[in-house]
Amino acid sequence: MKNTRGWQVITDWLAARERQPFVFQEEAWKHYLQGRSGLVNAPTGYGKTFSLFLAVVIDWINRHPENYRQKTKNGLQMLWITPLRALAKDIARAMEEVLQELDMPWQVGIRSGDTSTATRQQQKRQMPEILLITPESLHLLMGQKEYPKVFTHLTTVVADEWHELLGSKRGVMVELGLSRLRGLARKAGRPPLKVWGISATIGNLEEAMDVLLGRPDPQAVIVRARLDKQIALQSILPDEIEKYPWAGHLGTKLLYKALPIIMDSQTTLIFTNVRSQTEIWYQEILRQCPELAGAIALHHGSIDMELRIWVEEALHTGVLKAVVCTSSLDLGVDFRPVDTVIQVGSPKGVARFLQRAGRSGHQPGAVSKIWFLPTHSLELVEAAALKAAMKEQLVESRMPVILAFDVLLQYLMTLGISDGFYAPEIWEEITATFCFREITPDEWAWILSFLSTGGEALYSYDEFKKLERENDFFICRSRMMAMRHRLHIGTIVSDAMLKVKFMSGGYIGMIEEWFVARLQPGDTFSLGGRILEFAMIKDMTVLVRKSNAKRAIVPSWMGGRLPLSANLGKVLRRTFSQALSAHTREPELLILRPLFELQERLSHVPKEHELLVEKITTKDGHHLFVYPFEGRLVHEVMAALLAYRISKRQPITFSMAMNDYGFELLSDQPIPVTDEDVYDLFSLNNLGTDLQASVNATEMARRKFRDIAVIAGLIFQGYPGKHKASRHLQSSASLLFNVFKDYDPQNLLLKQAYNEAFFYQMEEARLRESLERINKSHIIITEPESLTPFCFPIKVDSLRENLTSEKLEDRIKKMRPQI
Amino acid sequence: MEEVIYHHQEQTWHLSAQRAIFWKEEQALIVSDLHLGKSAHFRKSGIAVPANIGQDDLFRLQRLITIYNPSQIIIVGDMFHSEENNEVPYFKLWRQQFAHISFRLVKGNHDILPAAVYHSMNVEVYEDLCIRDIHFVHEPCADNTAGYTFSGHLHPGILVAGAGRQHLRLPCFYFGRNCSILPAFGRFTGLAMLRPEEDEAVFVIAENSVLKVN
Repeated sequence: MKNTRGWQVITDWLAARERQPFVFQEEAWKHYLQGRSGLVNAPTGYGKTFSLFLAVVIDWINRHPENYRQKTKNGLQMLWITPLRALAKDIARAMEEVLQELDMPWQVGIRSGDTSTATRQQQKRQMPEILLITPESLHLLMGQKEYPKVFTHLTTVVADEWHELLGSKRGVMVELGLSRLRGLARKAGRPPLKVWGISATIGNLEEAMDVLLGRPDPQAVIVRARLDKQIALQSILPDEIEKYPWAGHLGTKLLYKALPIIMDSQTTLIFTNVRSQTEIWYQEILRQCPELAGAIALHHGSIDMELRIWVEEALHTGVLKAVVCTSSLDLGVDFRPVDTVIQVGSPKGVARFLQRAGRSGHQPGAVSKIWFLPTHSLELVEAAALKAAMKEQLVESRMPVILAFDVLLQYLMTLGISDGFYAPEIWEEITATFCFREITPDEWAWILSFLSTGGEALYSYDEFKKLERENDFFICRSRMMAMRHRLHIGTIVSDAMLKVKFMSGGYIGMIEEWFVARLQPGDTFSLGGRILEFAMIKDMTVLVRKSNAKRAIVPSWMGGRLPLSANLGKVLRRTFSQALSAHTREPELLILRPLFELQERLSHVPKEHELLVEKITTKDGHHLFVYPFEGRLVHEVMAALLAYRISKRQPITFSMAMNDYGFELLSDQPIPVTDEDVYDLFSLNNLGTDLQASVNATEMARRKFRDIAVIAGLIFQGYPGKHKASRHLQSSASLLFNVFKDYDPQNLLLKQAYNEAFFYQMEEARLRESLERINKSHIIITEPESLTPFCFPIKVDSLRENLTSEKLEDRIKKMRPQI
Repeated sequence: MEEVIYHHQEQTWHLSAQRAIFWKEEQALIVSDLHLGKSAHFRKSGIAVPANIGQDDLFRLQRLITIYNPSQIIIVGDMFHSEENNEVPYFKLWRQQFAHISFRLVKGNHDILPAAVYHSMNVEVYEDLCIRDIHFVHEPCADNTAGYTFSGHLHPGILVAGAGRQHLRLPCFYFGRNCSILPAFGRFTGLAMLRPEEDEAVFVIAENSVLKVN
């Protein structure tokens, strides 16, 4: 194989640049040349792109040794699916450079939401040999008439950053797109497609490959780069731990210690967990260090796209000293000048932390340096836990999405607006995907009828119109509906957001509708690092003026509050249990010693096999604090479960609070829990029925239904710039949820909402596992006389929910209207 | 079916949990914001909401008519949701059962059907209506120099809160100083939250009962 022409050309070209292929690259080339599919596992910055791109080039040269330098207009050879438009540009540039140096006349094209109409037309006439594409644009391509022609020469599909797509509905879009491409190849009698993924390290690489390939492929391989990235984690410690707050989530109190780090570095990325935090940090840095004005920027999902692109480019050129950002900068692109990363608050998971750490020190062999800045004292323990987790490579898994009927409905409509589809053919294809391999014929029949008759048996008054059915063939014949569908392709559902513009013109960013609803004209708020005065809402746009106010409300964006991962929780429990050990050398644990001693004196520091329960009475009432360290979502459900089980013993009403470490039940009467009966509360017996009774699954499902309704095309968001056209078609997801619940309870999308609520919102599997663990552990109940360091953050700084078994009518009688 | 009797503006109002008011002195059943034909309108555009919502709304209206036996029905706007669709012939058929009752529609922003269509359905259309000094207008307005009004349009709801941050959003009847607002009768409608003043009466509809909360 190494003797082939293509291999020679490539290794010679590398040698001429005094480089040689990495072992994993050669491995990937070999497998590719043998016609295999598979997955490359490599960190960013180590030539993962070349491991597959060059393989395709080698193969092409091997097949056209004489004229590969002359052959043009070869048709689309390789699709390169990428989650981010910004990544596409960088990768295309890198590929073009190589092709140019090899003197190969191949074209590299990009197809995304940013691609101009002219470029699209040009691509329609002559597709480039390589097309970089987002999952959404791939589906859009399949929504065009005669789309199969585009793919007649296609041999290879690469899914880049597959770990990012895997656990999301965008991943399902990739699975469905691949199923169609495979089907087209099979139908035309072409050799099977070679499908490859590129993924960072995750806990379930094998499964990641299975999802990509759909059906098990015994020939498929995982190629591992085995290039361990050196990561150095150091915490920013408060000077006096006694004075550092026990609760909080901003961390700006430690900014004074972060500033020297920023000053000493070339470029620093400061990662926060939520968008509001970036705004606060940005303002605070400027307040404490005005000379940084112009040299710092912020980057998050609600900021104007152009501004974000500007920030990214400025990061490349190194003109920025620091950027405050959220997970919007987690992904992909290499910013070489970045040499320091600061993580503010818990990163919530090992994988995320590794990814963020990897944003610095991109050069192979360089050490990635990351600072951890705690937002409250106890969070320092997470730094120690992260070090242990990294050492043991405890990286989280990404759970693939299954039976996403909303995405399937959207996909079928996409096929419906292009050439139409034959149901048996598509059934064969989708049942070969991981996502839909367990779909039943009944569910499929429902899906088809939902699109063709609106889910109802035909009757005289109904005028439903979407797909027309001609025996097994389904097609959309309404141009209006086709146009509307094209605008709605995609699965990223943003919250109801409004554009923010200056009165004088000039776009600033997006803001959530419910936040604006609370504003009065004259109120000031901060967005994109600017302080703005609210003037009015006009045509779905928030009009503002510049403001000179020093302080402003910071909008809080919903979502983005990730729960602690199970992996990190596990290491965290162990780390806590070691906190008072005489052997510990971790600086974070040493500095926290006074806090732990206080906790031990007032209550107890739980060991790994223990569960701590604290009963405390304050003027607010009777508290029960429990610390399973299983993340906010599991705690939310566990708190409701416990509250329900206690309320069966005697009539009692609870208010509940939780954070990632534990949860609290608060009542106006003493909570009847003793050493003897406490185990019953965590029992797995009757878990199913008790959960049904205690958790408001309907509310959770209602929240999940929003995305589902948008993806499935039930919510019409209107045409860009045209408000009139959508007249009388507006409805909210919540309203749709209600009418489905009341009038069509068997609706599959409703069931999907409940399933998603159980799986993602309640994390039912994880709840079961943790209850099993608790059942095997020793439960220790203490009765401290005052609030403990452990319970403090839960009490003052957490999300509160409630449980009651009282009748609606009785509840309302006790309530007062909110004025 | 549960109701609460409320005396206001020297008249007797029966507030029904089915989102309607029976005005005893006038033997009038008052409803607002039916949005008939809304689900059909959505379905015609390819949005597969359940088809039977409109029929169900009319069935509820039918039951109210048999209970109160009114001589007239006052609809305070938004009777049909949008353009003409198959819900209109359905309504015509349904209407024949109650030929002796007059249907009086005070036009709302959604009432865009041609006059001939209302005529064919035997529905009287008014820009506004005044009976015994009570004015019926679709959209509530701030200044009420004309007198006391009954309106709809808003689909009023109220957020009731209790201890431990409990809260619920429920449709309501609102009786303000200058105007009253009816809940939306149609079930395929959302809610807009009101913030009543302390001396204004609010009745929420919780499942099958009506409760005074303010």
